[in-house]
Amino acid sequence: VEVTSAPSENAFSARRRSDWTDLDDILRATEARNGLVRLGAERIARLPPLYRNACADLAYARAARYSAELVDYLQGLVAGAHTVVYGRSAGDPRTGAPPLSGLGVRARGSSLRVALELFPRAVRRHKTAILVSLLLFFVPLLGSIAMSLKDPAFAARVAPEGLLRNLTEAYRQGFESGRGAGADAQMAGFYVDNNVGIALRCFATGLAFGLGSAFYLVENGLAMGAIFGYVAAHGAGANILTFVVGHGSLELGAIVLAGGAGLALGWSVVAPGSRTRVASLQATARSVVVIVLGAGVMLLMAAAIEGFWSASSVGAVVKRSVGAAMFVAVSVYLVLAGRGSVEAEAAERSWRAR
Amino acid sequence: VESRAPLDTDVAIETPEHIVFRYRLAGPARRLLAYLLDLLICYGAFGAVAALLFLGAAGAAMTTRAAEDAMGAGTGLLLLLLFAVQWLYFAVLEGWRGTTPGKAAFGLRVLTAAGRPVGFREAALRNVLRAADALPLAYSAGIVSIAGLVSMSSTRRFQRLGDLVAGTIVVVPSRGRASAPIVLSPPAEPGELAQLPDHVRLDADEREAIEMFLRRRSTLGRARETELASMIAPRLCARFGLAAPDPSRAIALLYDRAANAERVESPPSTEAAVSWR
Repeated sequence: VEVTSAPSENAFSARRRSDWTDLDDILRATEARNGLVRLGAERIARLPPLYRNACADLAYARAARYSAELVDYLQGLVAGAHTVVYGRSAGDPRTGAPPLSGLGVRARGSSLRVALELFPRAVRRHKTAILVSLLLFFVPLLGSIAMSLKDPAFAARVAPEGLLRNLTEAYRQGFESGRGAGADAQMAGFYVDNNVGIALRCFATGLAFGLGSAFYLVENGLAMGAIFGYVAAHGAGANILTFVVGHGSLELGAIVLAGGAGLALGWSVVAPGSRTRVASLQATARSVVVIVLGAGVMLLMAAAIEGFWSASSVGAVVKRSVGAAMFVAVSVYLVLAGRGSVEAEAAERSWRAR
Repeated sequence: VESRAPLDTDVAIETPEHIVFRYRLAGPARRLLAYLLDLLICYGAFGAVAALLFLGAAGAAMTTRAAEDAMGAGTGLLLLLLFAVQWLYFAVLEGWRGTTPGKAAFGLRVLTAAGRPVGFREAALRNVLRAADALPLAYSAGIVSIAGLVSMSSTRRFQRLGDLVAGTIVVVPSRGRASAPIVLSPPAEPGELAQLPDHVRLDADEREAIEMFLRRRSTLGRARETELASMIAPRLCARFGLAAPDPSRAIALLYDRAANAERVESPPSTEAAVSWR
């Protein structure tokens, strides 16, 4: 009969315990400071050897069949250290070196510039879905404007008539007197909460095979078109155009982008290609999440413009010129920014490799 | 012997050192409680700020125009806060610390499926998709999340749709304190020592059963302790030639000799017992 021999559990524990408590202390200090960076060089340098020794002790304790209590304790210790040692950054995608947390080296050069480039690159990567989203939003929008101009009763079937009347009244008055600073802030808050919420829901519900995104896009297109057409049919068309043109390119653009991201997500479930459906979904989600975050930022900017600029008493010509410039700037940014950027490409690779 | 098979509410993580350890997954009930606590914190803070603003507005004597401005700015601030509560709170806190106050209170932590901490993008993704988890009730706050519950019950790792898409799991990390070793008390008397063999060889199952018994026995009544010990003590006593009147004491003596004398262990009695915890 083959017989294995190992030190007794108590002897093993007594010999190794001081290392375990040291590791435990470092982990508790890390949790208290939320990260390694402020731990001090000496303790940071001690962490990897202590972690590796704990790994070895866990393997040994299992092989020697020590008590479940000891194995559980070591397992908790290794798990706690693992989340500290191996972190969120993806490591080096070229060498395949495992990632290290907390001490992750910041990207050289301007990381803000890279972030600004990642967004339009992601938009261009998913241009088919975004073009479909554009159609799903603007065809109902234009159709609804045309129908409402011809017959304002159509608008009343799409949007509540009381709201339409109030808006018409408001736009008829024009913006000569401006709006109070308080009302500006209130409306900006409302636009942030309402519009960003709509865009994020429009994206998220795309998970249902893209149907949720399509629904929100068509619904919002119809409703906005009805408002625009009704107000224009009652003689305030120039005013509403002046109001919308300043923030429109950012706001409508962001809704289209969020919807497109949702459609891409839904399509990845419908047609996963050579991947499983879940794997396809995860890969697409990684790829489009930048679009959603970028659309959120666009909507925050739009809300600020809509709250503090669009209803101000600045002249109509200035507002329309600024609006046209914004449209050109947004389009050029989305179409051109980050083309051939090596740093952005490296960042995308490392994010995909995780 | 199936008793050592891991529970299916565990998830195994392999480290780059090729060590496998296990996390306990958080179930739907515990996560719902954590979520409700987070909502309570969020909307409690929101309500407190709203109450302060309106009390301030009611208390201040201002001209109409200034009062209007202040009310407008206050409402704008509240709406921003509402936005932060609905869309930012979870994503920012989970991306930053891997947990929220509600989750922390219930001992939960969000990790990637590979067992690493989540970044801001994963945190944003899994939380934006709460809106999809709430389907088909598009406008609910996500408390009644039918799609999420279906997804959690049909995936192996209790993932709601947001977790599935972001590749994240929610676990209950437990870092216990090292347990005190099992001590024979009172120490063995000369008469008992004379009876004990030099080597007591127990297999893994026997060791585990005896350890659990010895750690539990202080919580048992005397009669129950004897009853449980009698289930195994006669066989062990016969094997090692021990004649002790008290079965519980006999087990403790044998275990002490097996664990603390120079340790020599017999190979496992069955093949199934090889599987690691």
